Amino acid sequence: MKLDVRHRTHYRYANPAAFSQHLLRLTPVSVSGQRVILTNVTIRPEPEAIDVHEDIFGNRIHVATISKPHEELEIVATSRIDRAERNAMIFEASAPWEITRAAALGLEDASPVAEIAPFAFPSAMSAPNSAIEAYADESLVPGRPVLAVAEDLMGRIFRDFKYDTAATGAETLATESFSLKRGVCQDFAHVMLAALRSRRVPARYVSGYLRTIPPEGKERLQGADASHAWVSVWDPAFGWVDFDPTNDLVPGENHVTLACGRDYGDVSPVSGIVVGAGRQLLTVGVDVVAASDAQTGTQLSQSQSQSQSQSQSQTGSLLSSAGPPG
Amino acid sequence: MLTLSDIDSELDSAREGLFASYGVPRHGFYDEVLDEAGKVRPHWDGLVDWLAEAGDSGYLDTTGDLQRLRTESGIAFAAIGANPESQEDALPVVLKAEDWAKLEAGILQRAHLADAAVTDVYTDQRTIGAGLMPPGLVYGGPAFAAHCAGWQRPPRNWVHLYEADVARTASGEWVLLADRLDAPLGDGWLLANRIATSQAFADPFVDMGVRRLASHYAAFQAHLDQMMGWDGRLALLTAGEKDPRFFSHAYFARYMDAALIEPADLTVRDGSAFVKTLDGLKRVDVLLRGVPDASVDALHRPGKAAFGAPALSLAARSGSLKVVNGIGSAVMAHRALTPYAHRLAQFLMGEDLLLADAPCLWLGGARAREQVLAERGQWRILPLTGDAGGAQEWPHEPDSPAGEEPFADRLARVGERYCAVKTPEFAETAFWNGNGLERAPWMMRVFASRTQDGWSVAPGGVATRMPANGIPPALGFGKDVWVLPEVDRRQTPQISSKLNAQFSSGHLRRTGRDLLSRVADELFWLGRNAERAESVLRVLGVCLARHLDGNRTDSDPEVLCRLIEIHASPDTSLSGLPRYRDAVHRLIRGSEPSSIPSILQTFRSGGLRARASISSESWRYIERLCSDRRWRAQGPFRQNAGLVRLIEDSMQALAAFAGSAQENLTRNYAWRFLEMGRRIERGAQIAATAEALAGPVLASEESHLRAWLTLSDSASAYRSRYMMTARPAAVMDLLVLDETNPRSLAYQLVRLEEVLNDMPTEVRYRRAEHRLALSLLTDLRLMDADVLASESGDERPELMKLVQRCQSDLARISDLIARAFFAHADAPEALVSQGRIEPSEEREP
Repeated sequence: MKLDVRHRTHYRYANPAAFSQHLLRLTPVSVSGQRVILTNVTIRPEPEAIDVHEDIFGNRIHVATISKPHEELEIVATSRIDRAERNAMIFEASAPWEITRAAALGLEDASPVAEIAPFAFPSAMSAPNSAIEAYADESLVPGRPVLAVAEDLMGRIFRDFKYDTAATGAETLATESFSLKRGVCQDFAHVMLAALRSRRVPARYVSGYLRTIPPEGKERLQGADASHAWVSVWDPAFGWVDFDPTNDLVPGENHVTLACGRDYGDVSPVSGIVVGAGRQLLTVGVDVVAASDAQTGTQLSQSQSQSQSQSQSQTGSLLSSAGPPG
Repeated sequence: MLTLSDIDSELDSAREGLFASYGVPRHGFYDEVLDEAGKVRPHWDGLVDWLAEAGDSGYLDTTGDLQRLRTESGIAFAAIGANPESQEDALPVVLKAEDWAKLEAGILQRAHLADAAVTDVYTDQRTIGAGLMPPGLVYGGPAFAAHCAGWQRPPRNWVHLYEADVARTASGEWVLLADRLDAPLGDGWLLANRIATSQAFADPFVDMGVRRLASHYAAFQAHLDQMMGWDGRLALLTAGEKDPRFFSHAYFARYMDAALIEPADLTVRDGSAFVKTLDGLKRVDVLLRGVPDASVDALHRPGKAAFGAPALSLAARSGSLKVVNGIGSAVMAHRALTPYAHRLAQFLMGEDLLLADAPCLWLGGARAREQVLAERGQWRILPLTGDAGGAQEWPHEPDSPAGEEPFADRLARVGERYCAVKTPEFAETAFWNGNGLERAPWMMRVFASRTQDGWSVAPGGVATRMPANGIPPALGFGKDVWVLPEVDRRQTPQISSKLNAQFSSGHLRRTGRDLLSRVADELFWLGRNAERAESVLRVLGVCLARHLDGNRTDSDPEVLCRLIEIHASPDTSLSGLPRYRDAVHRLIRGSEPSSIPSILQTFRSGGLRARASISSESWRYIERLCSDRRWRAQGPFRQNAGLVRLIEDSMQALAAFAGSAQENLTRNYAWRFLEMGRRIERGAQIAATAEALAGPVLASEESHLRAWLTLSDSASAYRSRYMMTARPAAVMDLLVLDETNPRSLAYQLVRLEEVLNDMPTEVRYRRAEHRLALSLLTDLRLMDADVLASESGDERPELMKLVQRCQSDLARISDLIARAFFAHADAPEALVSQGRIEPSEEREP
């Protein structure tokens, strides 16, 4: 299915910012099951310099520098994506999880697989504790195929955790949301990663979008679609396979992959530094619509009026969040 | 008559005396000084003879000199918190050429290996791919810098500076204790230590032909020059005075002729790194990185790199900036290379290791963890990559205190981040114990750097006593290590010490418009704080003198209170003498911003940060004033002659500072900022004093006016001019309007306007702060003393109006200067993170 994605980020500053630098991970790349037809990022005011490069995880990064005084900043990322339906996979046919661990750690004469090695170890936001380890061990039955382990874990997290946007924030650690048994997509992804990695099963964090389908007879609200996060688990034959513990399903044509990394810290869509801005007011809106039923391009670019609005005061601490993720 | 043989035998007995409490070497313990038979090893003869000849008192004189030299370089470069005046025993360790050659070859190989391994981790990853190094060693902890991996055009080398902790085992073999790769730059200690030791021990140093360090650093400089290109700029990045290595950074920066900068001075634009100077942005080509990996590049390490230098890795990525050592070097630092060093050396270099490691187990594997748990007590658990791994050193006794995770659990959870080391038995060397020599185990830090065609190891090191716990102490001043030349190649070094040339030229480089914005800021506030300190001291001095003098009018508590409250915040709950005493106490012992201790503290740290732009002499006066213990004494204040003397001493130091700044600073930008700060503050202080003492029409007016004259150091000028008691109009003429009196308000404005007139401007018009100063000065010039003194009711409205305007205009000028010249120096803040927005509906079915 072809999807149009529009992700608008707007900052308003209390004082004119003398200088700002932004690291953007807003450009999807083609991955298995996803083809990028076109993608574009516009920034206002116009940056003096934009550096584009790819990080080791394969994500496309923009670094934009603005050194004239500016009181607001708008970043609009639009993409047209072709998503395939999910492949039918027999999870029981995947390799035992111990095999993927051995491949990640280079154990027992298994030669290490370079692309999975960085994802096998606890990261800052996915560090486990003994409670998570015990939780993981219930799914990590010896000899069980790794994708069956992932499916089981995904289902358990879906059932055991309550979706609660007020319980956590963007910096919440896996151990915290685990003890609350609450959170949003980011937390569920971190918990699942913590569980798998506690036994060194390679798994990665995926950020992206999810198309929401309005209830029968209602209009789709603009800006109401979600940034989303899920988990990808590696198997020697199937490669990376996505699991969405927030929805207990394997992502298919309604998910759009934006970036992947070890945890949220590697993929946050917009981060950066600003000099002299004082308080910052942040507005974010995401629209994901099927290209076939989409508005024209003009309409797409104007669909910002009802964007969800959030504000946050900035008191010098690094990386405070505008709100918990979906 | 004394014969030659008498002298010999006298020397022999003195030599024996030295070793009276030394004893014979323990069996199985290599001793640097004595051989197995208890005879002095030949390469120590020169030093032992000199010691015997010098005797206790000669040695004490020498160490006294050394201590003075250390203190002096400490004063010149040191930071709060660092302890350059370490009491570490100063007796050098002498190494013969053969011993050194072995170590040197081993260190050269290790430096090469460290670079090859780090560079491989961030580029081809052949070592991981070939299974030579388990992935957990690299990815198991946070030291791996993902944003520096997989670049299209990576630098050829990550490591250019290599430091190592080495020791000699009891059997006499060299052994490596740790690699220091992340922000090493301890070379400043090596150099400072060598310079102090070689001067204090000049005779044996020269006689023994000790190998010099200069050619080693000349080779490193040549390597840097090649990296920089012919007009490149070299900078040394330090985290500032609070960094324990700040001394070394400051010293080494001066030695290498590098600009000493802090992360806030750096900005990255268009793929290049720039320092912010008064003249705009200046490109940096090579950066000696003294700030750890984890603390640079706030853009790529949000939440961790509070220090900033955002996007620094982009400048390195583009190839425009060369970072020494490259960002990410921490991943192989400390002990991370050790467990697989042998395999790596064979794979990367085709060589066997020459230098052994102290026993070290990587705890990423279950077997190693089991072994260490079974052999508790024999192993010490360390963070694998030192500080960079985000892991804490494990307590020596692995039974963790209540509340902490059980030891075994933690190791099982993140064992990849830890290693276990065994401390071997160490060789011993001689330490001076006050009246002779004693034996103790020792270790040293050695330093290697890249040259145009390989690596070079500085012939020498900083040695220290090995503590019983086996944990090498932090680097500082220590025992100098003297490497003797091969016997047949003893000659005068070909390259004379580069020190003098460097020290004299390095200072002039950073003058002019190249001045860092941050330093301009510091200098401005240095000027202001010097004046503020002086003003408070003067008020205290006048009050104390009056109180001691006991003249009824002058020492009236109300008069004293009015005087002291020019600076002390008034405490209206008290009155009379108690109120005065309380105010004095707060100014002398208190912590409020106007108290002497707080002003001096700010003054000193400002001086330290601006250290590179003021002369050594100016800095010395700051140090003398601010480190005066009497200001730091605790307990109740007693009004006595001691305090009066202290105030006088402090005023003298301030005057000396002012004089030396005036005399020794060329009239460049550095001086101008100091001067502007000074004039603005003094002007504001005069205005505040005038407002307090002459604004209201007071009962004991004459006493107040006299106090004002004394505060302004203008009593004698007044007497010689007017030959009469103080009268308002005359006093105001002298202290407010007289442009020839350096203590008058008008004089401050004249000087301020002069300097502002010389500041750079991009437009044809005068800058805003200049216009404001000019307008203020003009109005003052049009004022008449009689008008100022005129009374209306119980105050002088014209004077009040003028001094209040002065105060607010001067504050505004100060703000404008800050905005015009220091705005660059603002700290960057993180952009609010958007996290992910939640869907408007509850989760999908």
